[in-house]
Amino acid sequence: MLEINNLHVKLEDEPREILKGLTLSVKPGEVHAIMGPNGSGKSTLSYVLSGREGYEVTEGNVTFKGEDLLALEPDARAAKGLFLAFQYPIEIPGVATMQFLKVALNAQRKARGEREMTAPEFMRHVKERAAKLNVSQDMLKRPVNVGFSGGEKKRAEILQMAVLEPSLCVLDETDSGLDIDALRVVADGVNALRSPERAMIVITHYQRLLDYIVPDKVHVLSAGRIVKTGGKELALELEEKGYAGYVEKAA
Amino acid sequence: MNLPVPKTAAEEALGLNLPNRRSEEWKWTDLRRLIDAPYSRQEATARAADVDRLVASSPFADVKAKRIVFVNGVYDAARSQLAQSQPLAPPQLTDDVIVSIGRNLKSAGVTLSFEGNADLPVEIVHVATGGARQAIGLRHAIQVAAGATATVIETFVGEGDYLCNAVTEIAVAEGGRLDRIKAEVESPAATHLAHTIVSLSKDAALRDFTLTSGAALNRQNGTLTFLGGHGDARISGAYLLKGKQHADTRLVVDHAVANCTSREVFKCVMADTARGIFQGKVVVRQDAQKTDGKQSSHALLLSETAEFDAKPELEIYADDVVCGHGATAGDLNHDHLFYLQSRGIPEAEAKSLLIAAFVGEAFDAVEHEGIRDALNHFAEGWLAGR
Repeated sequence: MLEINNLHVKLEDEPREILKGLTLSVKPGEVHAIMGPNGSGKSTLSYVLSGREGYEVTEGNVTFKGEDLLALEPDARAAKGLFLAFQYPIEIPGVATMQFLKVALNAQRKARGEREMTAPEFMRHVKERAAKLNVSQDMLKRPVNVGFSGGEKKRAEILQMAVLEPSLCVLDETDSGLDIDALRVVADGVNALRSPERAMIVITHYQRLLDYIVPDKVHVLSAGRIVKTGGKELALELEEKGYAGYVEKAA
Repeated sequence: MNLPVPKTAAEEALGLNLPNRRSEEWKWTDLRRLIDAPYSRQEATARAADVDRLVASSPFADVKAKRIVFVNGVYDAARSQLAQSQPLAPPQLTDDVIVSIGRNLKSAGVTLSFEGNADLPVEIVHVATGGARQAIGLRHAIQVAAGATATVIETFVGEGDYLCNAVTEIAVAEGGRLDRIKAEVESPAATHLAHTIVSLSKDAALRDFTLTSGAALNRQNGTLTFLGGHGDARISGAYLLKGKQHADTRLVVDHAVANCTSREVFKCVMADTARGIFQGKVVVRQDAQKTDGKQSSHALLLSETAEFDAKPELEIYADDVVCGHGATAGDLNHDHLFYLQSRGIPEAEAKSLLIAAFVGEAFDAVEHEGIRDALNHFAEGWLAGR
């Protein structure tokens, strides 16, 4: 589904490389965890995949469902099935959450040549999913993320994911800022979306999230490269011993 | 020593000297230079089909309201649902150029007097069509009796090149409330000059919203005076400007007495080489303690060549007041844009969504749902046609 090959990335206005030859292969149905210390390039990876401006790919390539992902605009990537759950979801004043979801879903359907959803179909589609994630009607009426608490923002991200039904979900530090109850709600929401057709990349600093979203593979990202790959037990090992060993190895 | 400057042809036709940039409050709108050819006082002939089409083009055509129609400055009895009342005495602001132009043009208009609670909004639709550079003078009065409430819409539509000069006097008596909505959607070639003069008595309230999206050249003055305590004025506006449009609003709010509240909120969108200006002056007299006066203007510039100028002025002589002003100008927020695109919304659609959200916040000041919906609908049409 996703093939990242020897990816080198730097910021547009800085010479320093952030990703230094990252290679990763994700197949449908798999859940990959990417763990690493601060500054290892975790968020850069998520932004480059989603197409945020300000990054320059100097070497390597990324294919998504056989197509050159990096050549696509962010909206085309989304329509093709890529979804990034932001570490810091953006507040958009004046755009009601419900309207935003409807415009986004129908724009994606239109781009894929599918029929747009009618208003009643859409309402049903959202309500079922919102109820499972404890997202109230009041939140849906409010502008996107405006005045939401940290936990509400993360739940709203997962709701967007559930509504848009992407085939590849990238979760960037979805656990940050969540207490244990909120973490459980978010993790349940993510687990409900696991399916043989859908892949996930869970980016996290801590092992805690992986108690709830159990990965098939765990990768250690250090200094812009994957330095170790293992099963879910690798996350436990990192929790115990820390990243120190890997950081030295990379340096 | 100042030598008298010979009048331009346009000034001769209007019978006065137009202000130029050397006058501080006209520094961004040099009327003497901008009105570069005379307007005709000849009455224009309008074709019925054109008038009907233009009346139907009002953004509020679908809003249930009592309508009054003026065609080229003349009351149209057949198309109006309310009778024209007696003409008014000239307003007192003799030194104001827009009032003076109106006087020289022998303006016509209506007087609307409201008692009790008006059930439906009144919409005055002003249509300009059929004349070659005609000058139209309009002069209305809106009087809201003590304890009464009313909603009045003033809509300006037209085609071709003309001058529309509109003076509106508003008086809200004790405990009364007026919701006024103005839509300036004149012909793209037109010049629109307006002055709205408001007085609010004790406990009176004003909700005033102006949409400015028409005319090549637009200048709107507003003067509001509080006559009694606990008056409450909320003045808001939105600009949707493109091409070479020029719109300048100057508001003067006079807190002549204590315990009144004023709010001014303007949201301005400028595309292409359009230029928007907002000048807001708040005067707080020595006796006007406990005044709460705030103003803000926010501009969204959709091109490198669009421009916005803001001039807040606070003149405060009382010492126990809360006053403030704020102004911002900028491009669309790139993080917002990326977030929308990352969810599959194409760039152009994402931009439209963000622009509509930006002006929509100004429309939220309008309490009448049908009118607010009509404004949002107008903005959608404007964005689609951009």
